[in-house]
Amino acid sequence: MSALVRAAAWLEERVGLSAFAALAREKHVPVHRHSLWYYLGGMTLFLFGIQVVTGILLLLYYRPSSGEAFESVQFVMARVPFGWLIRSIHSWSANLLVFVLFAHMFSVFFLRAYRKPRELTWLSGMLLLFLMMAFGFSGYLLPWNTLAFFATQVGTEVAGRVPFVGGFALRLLRGGDQVTGATLTRFYGFHVAVLPALTTLLLGAHLLLVQRHGMSVPPSVESEARRTGLRVPELPFFPNFLLRDAVGWCVALGALAGLAALAPWELGVKADPFAPAPAGIRPEWYFCWMFQTLKLLPARILGVDGELVGILGFGLGGLLWTLVPLFEREGTSDRLRRAITVAGVLVLVYMTFMTIQAYLPEKH
Amino acid sequence: MRCWGAVLTLIALGRVAAAAEPPAKPSPAPRTACIECHSELDGDEGEPVKRAADDVHFQKGLSCHDCHGGNPAADPDDVVAAHDERRGWNRPSRVGIPLFCAKCHADAGFMKRFNPQGRVDQLAEYRTSGHGKRNAAGDGKVAVCIDCHGVHGIRAVKDPASPVYPTHVAETCGRCHADPKLMRPYGLQTTQPAAYKSSVHAHALYEKGDLAAPTCNNCHGSHGAAPPGLQSVVQVCGTCHTREATLFLEVEKKKGLNLASCIRCVVCHDNHAVQAPVDEMIGVGPKSTCTSCHKPGDTAYDSTRAMAAALDGLKARHSHAQDLLDRAGRAGVEVGSDVVALQKAGDQVIELRVLAHSFDRERYLASASTGLAAADAGVAAGDRAFRELKQRRLGLAVSLVVIAAVVAGLLLKIREIEGAGPGP
Amino acid sequence: MWSLVTVALVDGGRRDGAELRRVTREETVATRRNVLNWFLGTSAGAMCGSVVYPVLRYLVPPEVPEAATTRMVAGREGELKAGEAKVFPFGARPAILVRTVEGEYRALSATCTHLNCTVQYRADLKTIWCACHNGMYDLAGHNLAGPPPRPLESYKVDVARGEIVVSKA
Repeated sequence: MSALVRAAAWLEERVGLSAFAALAREKHVPVHRHSLWYYLGGMTLFLFGIQVVTGILLLLYYRPSSGEAFESVQFVMARVPFGWLIRSIHSWSANLLVFVLFAHMFSVFFLRAYRKPRELTWLSGMLLLFLMMAFGFSGYLLPWNTLAFFATQVGTEVAGRVPFVGGFALRLLRGGDQVTGATLTRFYGFHVAVLPALTTLLLGAHLLLVQRHGMSVPPSVESEARRTGLRVPELPFFPNFLLRDAVGWCVALGALAGLAALAPWELGVKADPFAPAPAGIRPEWYFCWMFQTLKLLPARILGVDGELVGILGFGLGGLLWTLVPLFEREGTSDRLRRAITVAGVLVLVYMTFMTIQAYLPEKH
Repeated sequence: MRCWGAVLTLIALGRVAAAAEPPAKPSPAPRTACIECHSELDGDEGEPVKRAADDVHFQKGLSCHDCHGGNPAADPDDVVAAHDERRGWNRPSRVGIPLFCAKCHADAGFMKRFNPQGRVDQLAEYRTSGHGKRNAAGDGKVAVCIDCHGVHGIRAVKDPASPVYPTHVAETCGRCHADPKLMRPYGLQTTQPAAYKSSVHAHALYEKGDLAAPTCNNCHGSHGAAPPGLQSVVQVCGTCHTREATLFLEVEKKKGLNLASCIRCVVCHDNHAVQAPVDEMIGVGPKSTCTSCHKPGDTAYDSTRAMAAALDGLKARHSHAQDLLDRAGRAGVEVGSDVVALQKAGDQVIELRVLAHSFDRERYLASASTGLAAADAGVAAGDRAFRELKQRRLGLAVSLVVIAAVVAGLLLKIREIEGAGPGP
Repeated sequence: MWSLVTVALVDGGRRDGAELRRVTREETVATRRNVLNWFLGTSAGAMCGSVVYPVLRYLVPPEVPEAATTRMVAGREGELKAGEAKVFPFGARPAILVRTVEGEYRALSATCTHLNCTVQYRADLKTIWCACHNGMYDLAGHNLAGPPPRPLESYKVDVARGEIVVSKA
């Protein structure tokens, strides 16, 4: 025992972590009827952690060249002990991560946690959302199977339609004019180096800001507290909230293990750039709502190319959504606040509906 | 003065009228007297000019007089000068057509100009054919060159619109050979064209568009058209179906048999109405072709029964292995390389279908057991995959129990720390 | 727990009844806490173990250390006699290793370019032959006769330390 105490004292003199320990003890989490949503942030972080660990394990065997990528994933699935487990967890966790991330984002939106002083937290969070979708898009290509190849072709094609910068962006993404082995290597670089670096910075900022400001209390709870005069009850983060977080994380881990063992992620067939695209190509489900929208838009809208209108619409929508803290400030009217809520509900309903639509069999 | 005006107006009107007409189809050959005159004629005498644009001879720079003689530079209105017999003008009779065409087509020196590799033995071949022999005897009703190749609008054989392009050959032959009125005097059947149309060769040619599929001329010859003799049927089928033919001839030699009288290939497969072979053609079932001659008690009867059993056994095992590996693959175990290894069993099934023509029981059964070994390996791989799946599920169950214990522990800890029930 | 109660009773002489009950309750609470801690610790440890074990097994490279896509050991020296050949899986497709009558090794793709049947070596003809439709290839892979439209892909063969290694050129 005394050895441990002495070691702790040695560290304390040099690193001085006791200040952080003190801060940690002071960290509290408000408890109210909406506080269940608080767990989503931690869950997202946990799932991201799983991605980092399984991702690092996978890259010990993966080969980012068009001639070997598919075979290396096949090798991991068939020959490496527990390779099937690591790979399936990585693929499932990616999808779970995006789902939880969207839930986290929407819950923050509807609970209005982006209000002052948390505007930068919201901004860093939205940027992290875009980064995670980029992770998903780049990672999807890496097994170099038919579905991924053509989904990437379609996805980068859409990126190329953006006015002015589209052509440049397409060549930058594809590493050329077509989707080739060069695209694969480039996407691999994005997926394991560029995006993780950017994520580290933004995630660090995001978490620091959350520590700085603490958990936001939704306006309805706040006004109720003001009315009754009672303080909103709180729970210490260490160990109470963290223990509850841990319960959620264990359940998530169990779910991932179950999915990996009972519904393993498919490998498909190696991509053949010269074969015609199979019917029913679509991107990963979290891009489907955009994909479906573009499919349904008419060829021309007010004289402008329909798809272009769609792409610009998404860009504008994303921008407005990211800038929502600017619209809801202290002086904003109740009407505007309600409009923002309604807009949010419409967006959520639209995205859900379009995602489901994309998976229904096509009627001719 | 007014006269001139009228003439000029007429000329102008004529020019306008000429300009308003669509330009006449340019004749590839220079405008000879023949063409000048015959383009104004109707009916049979105008036909040749109308068809000239499609004709390969005109396209190569030849013209009417190169075949028919006469004077191409004569005045078009002067028939006698144009049809100058001293200049070789002639209109061949039906019987004389082979010699007429052979004037050029059997002249190697002449044909070399147009196609250095082209054949010049068509007439010689023709003389060996049924058509040729009767033609030499003076029969004007049998086929001559123009009946198959057309006349005056003769297209090259490789032109898809030619009556002797592979997809049109059966139709061309059928014009006579499917007509009972024409064939009765010669005592020939007329069922062949229809039989051919029902065959797998016709299906390949017409529906699948495989131009390598045989039509009448591939087996019968084109110019030397005659039914292959009894001795040559196996060689004829063997030009494409080499392995089967070789095996067949080998076994005849080995066993000292001569199966020419049952026309070898034809006895099981028919000659015109060749259907896709089925595995039930060996063995002792209702579709078997062996049992039409071999009866119970015959060694061949026993052999074919054993061979059919071996084939069915291999197919069943192969299919079982495929099914196992397919299900294992879909359940998530990687079986790619096992599927590749199983191909060997599939290859053996194909091999066995060819080896049926060896009529060699030992050889057949040996090949079947090689295939069976590969199929067994596939089944073993499939079983292995399912065992692995079971292990995975067991591992999952264990880890879920552990996780559940942790969750329970955490919940209890929370309750312990907070005294009363857990908060949100 | 019973031992504690016993201890408490034995110690009863030094305490009065209420205090005894309080001490017992405190001690049982402490025991319960220890049990719970032990339980949580052990199960958490088991969970960590069930995570770490697969990861460690995963990190140890398997028997065949890499996907045999571009390079693999096709056989050992002496396995094939002159004039023999063997078909082996190379990546996802079959390949054929031939030991010619002169004793040299050649390796080619074994998938016929006509309709994908697996080819074989004919020592009598010294060619690669496809049984399905009589296609013929020479030992460099060139299609010589029959329906095959394209040559067979030819691979590099090296013999090292008694092993025959086939790699994509």
